[in-house]
Amino acid sequence: MIGKFLGRVGLLTIVILVLPIGSSWSADSDGPSSLREIKKEIKELAADREQALEKIQRLEKRVDQLENENAQIKAANTQIKTETVQTTEEVKTLQQSVEEGPSPGGMAKAVQGYLGSHTFTLTGSAGMDYIADQQSGALAGLPHQTQNSFFLDWEPMMLYRPNDWMLFEGVLGATFGNNGTGVDLSDALIYLFPNDFTTIVGGLFDLPFGDWYEDQSPMWVNKFVSAPLPYGVEPVVPPSELGLQLRNGMQWGDVGQDLDYTVYVGQGPGYSANVPGAVANSPVAIASKQTNGKAFGGRFRVYPIPLDSNLGRLELGVSSYDGKWLDGKWLTSWGVDFAYLMGSLQARGEWVSSYRQMPAPYSTDNRQGWYLQLGYYLNQLNLPGVPDELNTYIHRLEPLIRYSGVNQHYVDTDDIVAATGVGAGGIQMGLIPDFGLSGSPALYAPHSREVAFGLDYWIAPSIVWQNEFDLELPHAGGTFINGAGMTSAAGSIPNDKAFLSQFTIGF
Amino acid sequence: MKKILIALILIGSVTGSIVNPCRAAEETKAEKRELIRLGAKLWPVYCNQCHNARPGSEFAPYQWDQIMMHMRALPNLPAQNARAILEYLKAGRD
Repeated sequence: MIGKFLGRVGLLTIVILVLPIGSSWSADSDGPSSLREIKKEIKELAADREQALEKIQRLEKRVDQLENENAQIKAANTQIKTETVQTTEEVKTLQQSVEEGPSPGGMAKAVQGYLGSHTFTLTGSAGMDYIADQQSGALAGLPHQTQNSFFLDWEPMMLYRPNDWMLFEGVLGATFGNNGTGVDLSDALIYLFPNDFTTIVGGLFDLPFGDWYEDQSPMWVNKFVSAPLPYGVEPVVPPSELGLQLRNGMQWGDVGQDLDYTVYVGQGPGYSANVPGAVANSPVAIASKQTNGKAFGGRFRVYPIPLDSNLGRLELGVSSYDGKWLDGKWLTSWGVDFAYLMGSLQARGEWVSSYRQMPAPYSTDNRQGWYLQLGYYLNQLNLPGVPDELNTYIHRLEPLIRYSGVNQHYVDTDDIVAATGVGAGGIQMGLIPDFGLSGSPALYAPHSREVAFGLDYWIAPSIVWQNEFDLELPHAGGTFINGAGMTSAAGSIPNDKAFLSQFTIGF
Repeated sequence: MKKILIALILIGSVTGSIVNPCRAAEETKAEKRELIRLGAKLWPVYCNQCHNARPGSEFAPYQWDQIMMHMRALPNLPAQNARAILEYLKAGRD
């Protein structure tokens, strides 16, 4: 438009410039007045041109302004559209969040924040137990009875964590059995984790000797209902200590190749004192009160197989426990153990030996015990021709077998009639079973032997129905000693059979 | 007896700081992911060594903090491996 206008102005200027030439040809007759008019017109045209140029400039500015405003409006419009999309998405997300509720992680953070830094958790285990023991024979002079009884056991473990380097743990054992209810304090200890390389433990603790007391004794962890003989009613080493531990583990090679140690000092081994001089009795759960009976021990484990080799996980361990048990008389013990895990196969075993110096006229009380245990989950077994539903039940089964035995010189007959097991609640009369113990007289043979068959049905990783059939096959030999210190040869002990069934939950 | 106790305390002091415990430094997200990956590898093997491995969904994360302190101590798990298993179990709730 502006170009067209400029073109017209230019054309007009040319006409004006040319016209005077034509006019001059006839100006000979008009004279100076015509020339003045022409000049005037030229001036007017020049003024018009100036005005037109100014107008053009104003219009150009206006066009620029309008174009800017238009661009701003377009940008604003785009921004509004984007924000509208974002807002719609946010509303959708909010609606979805409201409909789904808080995530477990978010909920956990909220709960943890609400609970504060001092936290408390109750875990542990509980179980119900049925025992049938047809006692075909018993030990001479001891009352016995055929058993067909139910038992209940509850072992809560309380954990209190005031900060990330300290933990308190207390374990109670409460049993309801033939003699009523009994409660016992199994563990009460404090863990300190000063750094990645040290753990300090103090209090009443399971003896770090072999795998049984510390790691395998909880009822839902033990694959069988009963304990293997070296850790049963006539244990080779005491089950607990009161003292101080220093322990930790480290990786020495590839992932899975670890080693660990535990060293400890304690109050000293404790033995029941039914026989005068406590000469031949069994170790008792609570550590000795004798101030001269200090003890020390250690445990070392190594895991030689790397995880990535897919050759399973092998644990090899050695243990030692030594202490004065009476007026300078020493108990010396040691043991070796292994555990192997490969897919559905699990195997473990231990050899334990102890020597105890005795007051005259008794000879050294030496005891040896062992067990070997095998288990195989059927979770990979798919029987052909069997409905899938039935196979899912079969997958939950774990058949087991265990052979265990103990050799010892003496068995205290008072130990046989006394309360056994955790929380039995006082002295019992006769060969009465307890939670996880068949009460068979053959268990108290100086040379007891047992073959145990097990079949576990796993409902969940920590909920199991366990069934066990025991064949007690004691060897002859050894000595019985009574509360008056009278001894008699044990001779042959009748074989026995027992059935134990237990439903247990680790919570 | 006293000598043994002193020796134990000395060993503990030498092997690390008594004052500032095993508190893990703030881990980056990448390090945490790596820990969880390691934990997933260790969990079925290390836990099954003694008992059936229990899934992370059984306990709240703050409870795993406590349980894993107990479980680090009893089998003497290397601290880094215990942390990896803990992160894996807690991640099971996210």
